[in-house]
Amino acid sequence: MSHGRVRPMGWRRLLLLPIALLASLAVVVLARTLAQTPDLDARWRLDGTGHLQLIATDLPWMRAALGHSLEVIVAPGIAPLYVDGRRVVNSTRWVASDEDRDAAARQQRQMAHMLAAGVPVLLGFTDRMSARVTPHARGYATLGITFWLLCGLGLALELVGAVVILVRQDVRNLLYAIMAQCQAAQLLLAAVDAVPGIGNVSLLGGHEAALRMSLDVITCAALLNATLLYPTPLPPRRALAWLSWTAAAVFTGAVMMFELPQAWWWSEALSLSTGLLVIGLLGWSYRITPHPYATVMRRLSIVTTGSLALVTIVVALNDRMPGEVQSLVTAVPVIWTVFFASLLLMSPFLARSQHMMREFAMLAGVSTLATSVDLLFVAVFSFNQFASITTSLFVALGVYAASRQWLLDQMIGARAVTTERLFEHLLRIARKVEEQPERAADWQLELFHAVFQPLVARHEPGFTQTTRWYEGGAGLLVPLAVEPQVNVDSPSQFHGDDQPEPRLIVLRFAERGKRLFTAEDARLADRIVEQLRRAVAHDRALEQGRSEERGRIAQDLHDDIGARLLTLMYKAPNTEMEDYVRHTLQDLKTLTRGLAATTHFLSHASAEWKADIAQRLAPTGCTLAWSFTQDTEIQLNVVQWSGLTRILRELVSNIIAHAHATHATIHADLSCGMLKLSVTDNGVGGTPKDWSTGLGLGGIRKRVRMLGGTIAWQQNTPEGVRCDVSVPLAVPSTPAASSPPTSPGAVAG
Amino acid sequence: MAVKVLILEDNPAAREFLGRVVRESFSDTITIVEAGDLESARREVRIAGGAQGYHGVDPFKLVLVDLELPDGSGLELLEELRQYPATKIVTTLYSDDEHLFPALQAGADGYLLKEDRFELLVEELQKIVRGEPPLSPAIARRLLGHFRTNTRTGMNRRITDEGNGESLRANGGSSTFTSALAFAAPSPVVIEPALDLPALTPREVEVLTFLSKGFTIKEIAALMSIKWFTVNDHIKSIYRKLNVSSRAEAAVLASKQGLV
Repeated sequence: MSHGRVRPMGWRRLLLLPIALLASLAVVVLARTLAQTPDLDARWRLDGTGHLQLIATDLPWMRAALGHSLEVIVAPGIAPLYVDGRRVVNSTRWVASDEDRDAAARQQRQMAHMLAAGVPVLLGFTDRMSARVTPHARGYATLGITFWLLCGLGLALELVGAVVILVRQDVRNLLYAIMAQCQAAQLLLAAVDAVPGIGNVSLLGGHEAALRMSLDVITCAALLNATLLYPTPLPPRRALAWLSWTAAAVFTGAVMMFELPQAWWWSEALSLSTGLLVIGLLGWSYRITPHPYATVMRRLSIVTTGSLALVTIVVALNDRMPGEVQSLVTAVPVIWTVFFASLLLMSPFLARSQHMMREFAMLAGVSTLATSVDLLFVAVFSFNQFASITTSLFVALGVYAASRQWLLDQMIGARAVTTERLFEHLLRIARKVEEQPERAADWQLELFHAVFQPLVARHEPGFTQTTRWYEGGAGLLVPLAVEPQVNVDSPSQFHGDDQPEPRLIVLRFAERGKRLFTAEDARLADRIVEQLRRAVAHDRALEQGRSEERGRIAQDLHDDIGARLLTLMYKAPNTEMEDYVRHTLQDLKTLTRGLAATTHFLSHASAEWKADIAQRLAPTGCTLAWSFTQDTEIQLNVVQWSGLTRILRELVSNIIAHAHATHATIHADLSCGMLKLSVTDNGVGGTPKDWSTGLGLGGIRKRVRMLGGTIAWQQNTPEGVRCDVSVPLAVPSTPAASSPPTSPGAVAG
Repeated sequence: MAVKVLILEDNPAAREFLGRVVRESFSDTITIVEAGDLESARREVRIAGGAQGYHGVDPFKLVLVDLELPDGSGLELLEELRQYPATKIVTTLYSDDEHLFPALQAGADGYLLKEDRFELLVEELQKIVRGEPPLSPAIARRLLGHFRTNTRTGMNRRITDEGNGESLRANGGSSTFTSALAFAAPSPVVIEPALDLPALTPREVEVLTFLSKGFTIKEIAALMSIKWFTVNDHIKSIYRKLNVSSRAEAAVLASKQGLV
């Protein structure tokens, strides 16, 4: 529940230290108190008839009584106590009926009165056996592992509650702190409950049950109140919050002061109705705002409330259970308490929690269910204990193993994308980023959209080194793997407004709001970013190597062959030869330039063609009318660029050399991926069919065919020749940023 | 007195050819000094009065420089002759903007393509000397980009300065040309001489944009309804600003290197 930025914790850390010390001190004091309580050096078991059977002892004179049941305890000066095995419990919290609870509490008090350290008592067993023993302080060793584990969990919960409220002081965190404190206290009491032996520990006298019920009811009120506020503030929050706190206050007051009749039933009713209410409220909250926290918490609430209902039924049916399983009955609520406490412990870290945390909660939940179901079998079908335990154990383990993944997915939410799909996406996007580096940001957004399917995915300026998540997993901040390249040559730069460049991808509400982002998601995102970076870097290095190689070849050609051709040109014996060499030199330059640059924008190329042709025609006294239109900007690859350049140059050369024209008209038009060129002159063309093939026409034809286009000459009226060229130039698809494109996109080339 | 011309060109045939172009272009008596590499060109410049050209009795009026030379690039000589009061022309085979643009930045007044016809070269040379330098679409595009990025980096610099103004202010050595500005504006002191980079006027941008689309000067004059020579003036001014801006950039770089 704590979310947002954790501010520097100067004074908070200082404050946390005494709180932690105090809590630890409380546990130590508790353990010390318990260690000093008197105990008999014996171990007991409830037998089928509700008697305590002696199963082990270190005292030699008591060995004879092994296997016999304890009937009475006699202490000097006090009326003998006839022991009812079913009532020998440390805690009366989970006793359904008022009479039983009172009886148990009474027996507890009497026993505490009787067993005092150092005063010998007489134990009367069945079959007239008896033994005299002196109770002594039990010491730390006999407190049992369960005691320490529960204390540890309680301590952890207590500290988490303290940290949450220290990190940020608001209502929500206060409510969480209340819940945490109540359940921490509950765990400590459960720890006391778990201390073995009949030397009953009743630290709180008769109020123990009342206190524990009150703690649970207060937790319920806080839980309800928190649900009303988070993740979405719900309209009836005021009224319902008042109602819940009033109910909690009334219950606490009644159970503490006036011995509320049927108190246990009341507390269970309040808890269960709170659970149901929370489930309903979270469903409503999700409909208002699809915050994944609501869904996840709702699933957990369903599990918790369901298991609590089972526990309630089991405890209520306690009387119908055979004596052997009664100790098990007392264990069920403890397991449930642990389950609930662990959920509470992990809820602030829902997104951060590791597998272990979840597994633990899962295990606690499943064992609650398994034990409850087992006990129900025993109660309802009158199985014998061993058979039922074995059956239910196998069933529970089977169910757990089979449905563990499904259950986990249900609790936390599954990732939608399989590994293969993920790889597919990654490869596809890497290629796209390479093809259209200026749209890299959009492609990456699409990738993360496909992987996590969030409700919101957008770019934002900002910076983060690694992936971070915020609002407890509601959102994820992913760094851009590849920053979009601003193409310096791009024609759009002159009307481009300077927007802040995106550096971050913000994702909110994974899986269309059904799931929280987890630490694994953040790691996955980081891995994706890393892989994408690597893929693109590799591609770029490859491309760079290629273009360096091309550049080197171009440089060599240009320098060596170019210089020689130039000399040859200067030394040409006649103008015809000179022109021929000049032509060759120009072709060489086009070739090398095409090699050096990989792509040319069509608009740039056309500007150069125009300037070049105008310059060449000017000295011959031929005027030029040039028009160029295009429906979309495209990039020409090397082949297209050099092909078109040379076709045009050849056509213009023909006009200059042979047509003796005074005017030339050139139209170029790109529409729907088809470039249509028409070159018209008013010279002495004659019939194109009669032309000899030595005019470079063959070269032009060849180039047009190479580009997959067509060319046709026709006699123009009243004079001259008209040449029509059409060449298909693929247009790169421009998919919208929001909708994922279906095809990889055909890029020229 | 004869007009002195320096031709720096390693290819003897080309040298001879260019000599003919120069003689054909002007009616004055011409003295052509030829150099085959950078070293001999430098020597000739020294003999004629040094790279500054102020103390020379008889400086060169026209310098033709080839870019690819046996002992280096012609760009080096152009850099050295920045202040030299001659018309400097690049003669090259490389007609692409990647090669020509740095030459123009280094102070060349124009460029000739060696493979052009004799008559065309004569005409082009005369034009350059008259102050009608050529400007191909590719170079016009580069110029647009150049001046645009200049203004942008200038702005960026100022923004970063506000962040770490302290450290820069400490090195106040280079703030001579912005001190007036600092008085005018109460905002953080601008140390970088970014503002000194000349910006193009809207008209110049317009001319450049047309040129980059392949329009001829005549067509541009018609499109903008201005005189032919006005368009030409704009082009000359752009040339000048390019030279100035590259010098200012060099100064910035130098001062930065001094600071670091």
